[in-house]
Amino acid sequence: MKQKIQNVGHFLRWTPWQVKLSMLVMGLGQLCYGQIVKGLFYLACFGLILTYFITTGFADFIGFFTLGTNEENLWLGIPGDNSLTMLILGLFSIFILIFTVVLYVTNVKDVVYTARQAEQGKPIHKFRQTLETAADDKFHMSALTVPVVGVSIFSILPIVFMILIAFTDLGGDVVYPKLASWSFSAWKKILSLGKIGSTFVKILGWNIVWAICSTALNFIVGLGMALLLDKRNVKGSKFWRAFPILAYAIPGFISMLGFKYMFSQSGPINYCLDQAGLMRIFFLTNDASAKWWARGIGLFVNMWISAPSIMLMATGILSNIDTSLYEAASLDGASGFVQFKKITLPFVVFSTTPVLISQFVGNFNNFGIFFFLREGVISNYADYFLASDTDLLINWLYKLSVDNNYYSIGAAISLIIFLITASLSLMVYVRSAAYKQEDTFQ
Amino acid sequence: MKKTKLTPRRAADNLFTYLALIGMSVIFLFPCLWLILASLSKTGSLYDFKGFFPQEYSFQTFIDLFNDDVNGLYPYKTWFFNTLYVATCSAFFGTILVLLTGYVMSRFRFQGRNTIKKTTLVLGMFPGFMGMTAIYIIMTQLGLIDKLESLIFYYSATAPLGYMVQKGYFDSIPNTIFEAARLDGATNLQVFTKVTLPLSKSMLVYTVLTQFAWPWSDVLLPKLLLKDRNMWTVAVGLFNLPETHFARFAAGSVFIAIPIVILYFCLVKHIVNGLTAGSVKG
Repeated sequence: MKQKIQNVGHFLRWTPWQVKLSMLVMGLGQLCYGQIVKGLFYLACFGLILTYFITTGFADFIGFFTLGTNEENLWLGIPGDNSLTMLILGLFSIFILIFTVVLYVTNVKDVVYTARQAEQGKPIHKFRQTLETAADDKFHMSALTVPVVGVSIFSILPIVFMILIAFTDLGGDVVYPKLASWSFSAWKKILSLGKIGSTFVKILGWNIVWAICSTALNFIVGLGMALLLDKRNVKGSKFWRAFPILAYAIPGFISMLGFKYMFSQSGPINYCLDQAGLMRIFFLTNDASAKWWARGIGLFVNMWISAPSIMLMATGILSNIDTSLYEAASLDGASGFVQFKKITLPFVVFSTTPVLISQFVGNFNNFGIFFFLREGVISNYADYFLASDTDLLINWLYKLSVDNNYYSIGAAISLIIFLITASLSLMVYVRSAAYKQEDTFQ
Repeated sequence: MKKTKLTPRRAADNLFTYLALIGMSVIFLFPCLWLILASLSKTGSLYDFKGFFPQEYSFQTFIDLFNDDVNGLYPYKTWFFNTLYVATCSAFFGTILVLLTGYVMSRFRFQGRNTIKKTTLVLGMFPGFMGMTAIYIIMTQLGLIDKLESLIFYYSATAPLGYMVQKGYFDSIPNTIFEAARLDGATNLQVFTKVTLPLSKSMLVYTVLTQFAWPWSDVLLPKLLLKDRNMWTVAVGLFNLPETHFARFAAGSVFIAIPIVILYFCLVKHIVNGLTAGSVKG
């Protein structure tokens, strides 16, 4: 610690006045060294940031902690604070603060570099040279600036925002003009025995069953198709393969909406049942009898959409099996079935394990199927809270936070989904050799 | 090769195999065929269909799709050009950003690289639309609600998150090529534009097309950000068609699905590679 203070003291004594100027006001030192464009750039950033914090940024920053203090008063005509907006603007001000620190550090580093150049009597970089460095030695930094800023604003900021929301009481009754505060109420509601808690348990149970069944079904069908097309007596396998690829290529939402029409109350299947003198069936309708029909149709439609991709993958894997293994096995008198059991299956299972897990994660979070097949269905008859009996956690999350403004409960569920997804994905990375050996490969 | 004799066992095997193949083809082809024929039906409503296939055929639905917007309710032509605009712009910006990210992550070793790698991995594990409420508020603050630019911003800005496929491709280009170019005095920017890009034409095509195809099938985000019917994209429009306009739905779907299907058939090899390499997001 003492060493550090001494170092700082030494640094301050050594530095020429330009560096100190830059430490005070970004860009001034660069200007004094004659680096006009760069200096003006830093100065402009400094000015903008300062104006931002003086006008709104500082208030936003405070608002992040209070989540609003003025409640709307219609009698006096005072507009109230909107906790939701305040939270995100406050978060934004924190992001700007971090950005300011980063910019400040680069500014000081830059002027110190210039000071060293000047001290050693080397020519000071002109703006052209600065640009050249940006395109060459610092190419990775220049190239990644826009992606990093974009992802920060449109992906990281929203996700951090939702994580924070899980620890407030926003949503439900607490929406504008009411003020929110920091609390654990959402977690208590989910983990308690109330309606929300029981809905959560029911949906989680079905979600796990769904993920296992749909992954297994897709794999069995996909692998089966790949093996079928790989059979030696199949002629024109390219022609046959085109049909599953066709299903795979159609945008998913079109297929799902198409199936919704097909199974709809007045759709062709029910018409045929009617003509055959049978009762119409509530396939996807909001009715207690539709529960298992809809779940079954969901499994089928998901298979129809996803199994072809498993088939394509399995075909690639099958073509990598060493054929001499089969020859040796035939010489030893192994039958076709034994060969399949002892060679093909272990090989395919071994090479697809990482994909299997990521497929499981994908199916666990399969939003589309029940969103498109049963949009807006809420099973009140089965005591679900703003969900249908086919909904997965992710569908419930959508209905809660986008359709019905139950922000904090939705956010808490997102976090639970994240925990499940993350622990499953971690298994993939631990198991996948490619990740470990990435650097040795090159 | 010796020609094998057709024993009864073999014949049964053949029969079984081809029955299975035909069954598979019917399952996958039938719904597509059903939609295509429905788009050619003369009557529009699902209630008028007697069974699966229409009674009379005509091209009228396709003509109506573009010329008759049912009193401004279903302006497919506007939706189509909206989506085309969004898709073109976000394909342009998104491709540049994702290629740059993939290239830098593949070729450079720098401070913070591992942080970026881990952050993107973690971000991929959150439910996709978890932040949609926040996106909505951000877009409101930026005054971009009901503007197509909001979609372009979002699609382009989040495109770099899927950089793994591009990185995998750049990883496979031998390092010696880059080293030779560097020895010849090329700057890193020149190496990227003059050496890497010409070598990566197929990856470039793949990236542009996948970026271009996404806005055509995304429903959630445009549904949230675009409230005005005239601002909708095709996917939102089709999503909101009622059963009485079933033929219109079929025609609208077929019209955008055909180019996408052709595209997939051309790209099937790349997509298989992407499936196995980039199977991170599930």
